[in-house]
Amino acid sequence: MTGTHSSLPAPVARVWEPLLERSRSKRALLLMAPLLLFELLLFVAPFLILLRISVTEGSTDLRYAPGTWSLEGYAEVFTTDVLLGAIAYSFKMGLAATAIAVVIATGYAYAIWRAEGLLKSLLLFSVVLPLLTTLVIKTYAFWPLLSPTGTVNDILVSLNLISEPIQFVPGTTGVIVGQVYIVLPYAVLAIYSVLSTMDWGLVEAARDLGASRPRAALEIVVPQAMPGIIVATVISFAWSVGAYAAPGLLGAGDDLAFALEVEKRLLSNLQWEIATAYALVMLLLMLVSIALLTAVLNVFGGEFEYA
Amino acid sequence: MHRETIEDALFRASYLSILAFMLLPLAVVVVTSFAESGQLLFPPENYSLVHYRGFFEETRWISAFDNSILVGVGTTIVATTLGVTAAFGHELDDGRAGQVLAPLVLVPLLIPPIILGISMRVYFVKAGMDASYLSIILAHTLWATPLVYFVMRSVFSRFDWRLLDAARDLGAGPIQSFVYAVLPNVKHGIFVGALLAFIVSLQEFVMALFLSSHNTETIPVVAWTTLRQSLDPMVSVVSTFLILISIGAIAVAAIATNLDWLSKQLS
Repeated sequence: MTGTHSSLPAPVARVWEPLLERSRSKRALLLMAPLLLFELLLFVAPFLILLRISVTEGSTDLRYAPGTWSLEGYAEVFTTDVLLGAIAYSFKMGLAATAIAVVIATGYAYAIWRAEGLLKSLLLFSVVLPLLTTLVIKTYAFWPLLSPTGTVNDILVSLNLISEPIQFVPGTTGVIVGQVYIVLPYAVLAIYSVLSTMDWGLVEAARDLGASRPRAALEIVVPQAMPGIIVATVISFAWSVGAYAAPGLLGAGDDLAFALEVEKRLLSNLQWEIATAYALVMLLLMLVSIALLTAVLNVFGGEFEYA
Repeated sequence: MHRETIEDALFRASYLSILAFMLLPLAVVVVTSFAESGQLLFPPENYSLVHYRGFFEETRWISAFDNSILVGVGTTIVATTLGVTAAFGHELDDGRAGQVLAPLVLVPLLIPPIILGISMRVYFVKAGMDASYLSIILAHTLWATPLVYFVMRSVFSRFDWRLLDAARDLGAGPIQSFVYAVLPNVKHGIFVGALLAFIVSLQEFVMALFLSSHNTETIPVVAWTTLRQSLDPMVSVVSTFLILISIGAIAVAAIATNLDWLSKQLS
C-alpha cells in the first residue's frame, strides 16, 4: 500500500492520505472518489466562481469584469425595489403553495396508506406520473383549464355560481395552483414513505380508547408522519420559492418571481455581477428560512409526541 | 354508525378529487393534442390528427427529439456509473468520505435549478464549452445522480454481503466477485436507477434552457420557448409523447420492482 502512496503527486497525496487514514478500505474510497470529484468540479467549483463574480465591478461592454473587486452587485440588490419585490413575491407564493401542498399531501398520503390493491396502485401511479413529467407540460396544462375562456370558468358560469369569468390565469391564483401541482407529488411521497412504516394498531388503540376518527388521525397519524411532513415542507418550500416555470408561464405581469428577475438580469441585461449577487442573496435567505422552518416543525413534532 | 358513513364518504370524496387534480391536467394535454383548431381549448370542438402530422414535418421538433435522446443517454451512462460505484463504495465503508458524500449529492436537488443553471453557464463559458451537449449532460447528471445513488444505497442495504465475502474466499478478484456475486442481485435496482436518470434528463428544462444553443436544445426547451410566444396544440402533441414515455417507464420499473417500492425510492 505504501508503494502506491509514494507514487502520487504531492498535492494529491496531501488530500488522499488523511482521507485514507480515516476510512477502513482503500477500495471503498476509490469507488466513491469519482462522484466526490464530480460534485467538486460541477457543483462546488461553479459556486465558488459564482461567488467571485458577484463581487466584481459591473462593466458595460463585457459580461463581467474579471480581476476587479466591488460590492456594487449586492448594493444594487438591496436598493432596487423591483429586486426586493420579486424576493418578497417568491417567498409569499412559496409559503402559500407549501402550506396548501403539505396539508393536501398529508391527507393523500394517508389515503394511499389506507388503500389496498388496485386503488392503492392507482393512487400511487397518480403521484409518480406527474413526478416524472416535465415542468413545462405540468404548467401549460393549466391554461385551457383556468384561463377566462377555460373549462373551470365555463363550468362555474354555466352553474350560475359566477356571472363574469374569473381570471385565474394569468395571475397569482394560477401560479399557486400550478406550483401546488408541481410540488404535491414530492410532498405526498415523502410523507407516504414515513407513514408506510407506521403500525396501524396504534390508530386502532386510539379508537378503542374513545378517540373519534378525525381525532385519531390528527393525534396519532400526524405526529408519526412528522419526519415525512418536515421533509415534504422543506422540499415544497425550496422548490416553490425558487420556482421559474409556474410564475413564468402562468403569472401575469405583476407576478415577478425572483427566478424571472435573475434570468432577465443575466440573459437580457448581461448584468452578471447583479444576477449572481441576487442569486446568492436569495439562496442565503432560502437556507436561513429552511433552517428556521425545520426548527419550528421539530419543536412542533416534539410537543405532539409528549402530549 | 351514521356519522362514520359520512366521514367515510367525505374522506373518499376528498382523495378522489385530489386524484382527479393529479391526473386531469395530463389528460387535458393528451386530449388537446387531438384538437383540430389551432386554439388551445378543452375539450376541443373537433378532433383531428393535424398537429401530429405537423410534428413530423417540423425539423425543429425532430432535431430536439434527437438532442433529448442523446442528452438522456449520456446522462444515464454518467449518472448510473457515478451513482452505482459511489453507493457501492459507501456501503463497503461508511467512513468520513461517505458522511461528506451523502449530503453533497443531495444538496443540488434543493437549490433552485435557475441558480444551478446560472452557475454552470458561467462555469462552462469560462471553460469554453458552453452550449455543448456535454455541458447539458453534466448538468443533468447533477440531478440524476442523487436518484441513482439513493436507489442503489437502498438496494445495497438489502444485499447479503456474505455472498461477496464468499466469492472473495473462493478466490474471485474484486471485479470478478462484483460481476458474479453482486451484480445479479442488484441488476433490477441498477436498471430502475438508470431509467429514472433517463427520465429526469428527458424532462428537465430549466438548466437545459441556460446551457443549450439552437443546435443543442432539447424537447422541453423548445416547448418552453414555443409556449412563451403562443399557446399551441403542437406542444400538446410533444407533451403526449413525453407522457407516454413516462407511463412506459413507470410500467417497466413497476414490473422490475413494484410500484410501492419505486414510489418510496423517489421521495
